Amino acid sequence: MTGPGTTRRRFLLGLGALSGAAALAACTNTAPPGTPAPAGTPPPPPSTTTTAPAPVYEGDAALMAVAAALSGLAGDLLGQAGTGAGQGRYGSVPGVVTAFLSGAAAQHTAHAEAWNRLLTNAGRPPIDGYPLTVEPALRGRLVAAVAPVDLLGLAADVTASVTATITAIAGSATGTSTVALAAGVAPVSAMHGATADFLLGRPPTAPTDPTAGALGPDALTV
Amino acid sequence: MTAPTAADVPTLQTASSLVELTSDTYTRLQRLPYAGGGTALAPVRALLATAVQELDRARTDLARATRTAGGRVQTSANAKYAAVVEQALPTVRGPGDVVGLLLTLEDVLAQTLVADVVDLSSPDVRGTVLGHATAAARRKALLLTLGALLSTGRADLVAVPPDLVALPPGAGTVGFPDVLFPTEKASPAIEGALG
Repeated sequence: MTGPGTTRRRFLLGLGALSGAAALAACTNTAPPGTPAPAGTPPPPPSTTTTAPAPVYEGDAALMAVAAALSGLAGDLLGQAGTGAGQGRYGSVPGVVTAFLSGAAAQHTAHAEAWNRLLTNAGRPPIDGYPLTVEPALRGRLVAAVAPVDLLGLAADVTASVTATITAIAGSATGTSTVALAAGVAPVSAMHGATADFLLGRPPTAPTDPTAGALGPDALTV
Repeated sequence: MTAPTAADVPTLQTASSLVELTSDTYTRLQRLPYAGGGTALAPVRALLATAVQELDRARTDLARATRTAGGRVQTSANAKYAAVVEQALPTVRGPGDVVGLLLTLEDVLAQTLVADVVDLSSPDVRGTVLGHATAAARRKALLLTLGALLSTGRADLVAVPPDLVALPPGAGTVGFPDVLFPTEKASPAIEGALG
């Protein structure tokens, strides 16, 4: 049995992704591609093509990629909503709504950066943009928004999707750093959802199935 | 599906002890008129009722995982924090005190469950425990928000739906103070374990 002190340290090690801790490389399950060949290995034949292979995300890397893309999309949507609210695009938006959107956006963006850092540490390319099947529909909702309640409704739904997705990742990932980051991120996203629900006047009820509506790797478009 | 192992039992028992205490405290506070009774502010009353239901589900899930791991189910309240509750309850005078006491318990519960996610051996149980951690985190967010509003002395701000124009901007962010959920208050795995 691993002692509690040891395991609590493992949690902190996993969360090191947020500050870019290089130690995370030791926690990943796959050796990064491009690892130098051992001495004495004959050099590979010269390449005859210049086409870079498409990024491949498998196993935990696919889970990290979904988390990075969805957290990044949440940050972008809420950030744009907050900026638009400040510019009067949605009528008179109360300061509490603008503050919520901007604050939650910043945290989602930080989460996306942390997931991308885990990907990089695992030797995979970071997610560029928001390559998700759900992106067009969610952007459509932001375009169609006309009032603060629309922005809060979008925020509640997006953060619910993030929370469910990250919670599901914790139940399927194998790498300690992936599980640890999921454990640190999902509750924060849930707090965004609780705040949005309060501002909307909705009941304070958590979902009975915490992974309902979770996105899987098949939601990636890369 | 990977079942939890004997090594998971102390972690699950400690989590159960915190759930027992938190649930019991909610139930006791519900009996106060300004917490769960007729004079309670609607958001406070709704939170207490919802929390009891959510903690019932946590109790059931943790008990099932404990039995699957071959352990005895912890049905007693966490002794360390039970002492805190017994000391605090006689001093509760209004909704602000109710929120403050519950915030203490929910924060410890949520931080413990978050830390447990990494410790547990079964991926399925990890997901289940994180689901209950996110539920506790939601309640913590609401308690932080309600506490901030009550501290202004304007109980009228605590309404369903709230008057968004009247709310201070800080009410939009006070519910999520950390970029990553903290774990420094997490109870050690042996704190509520059965010998």
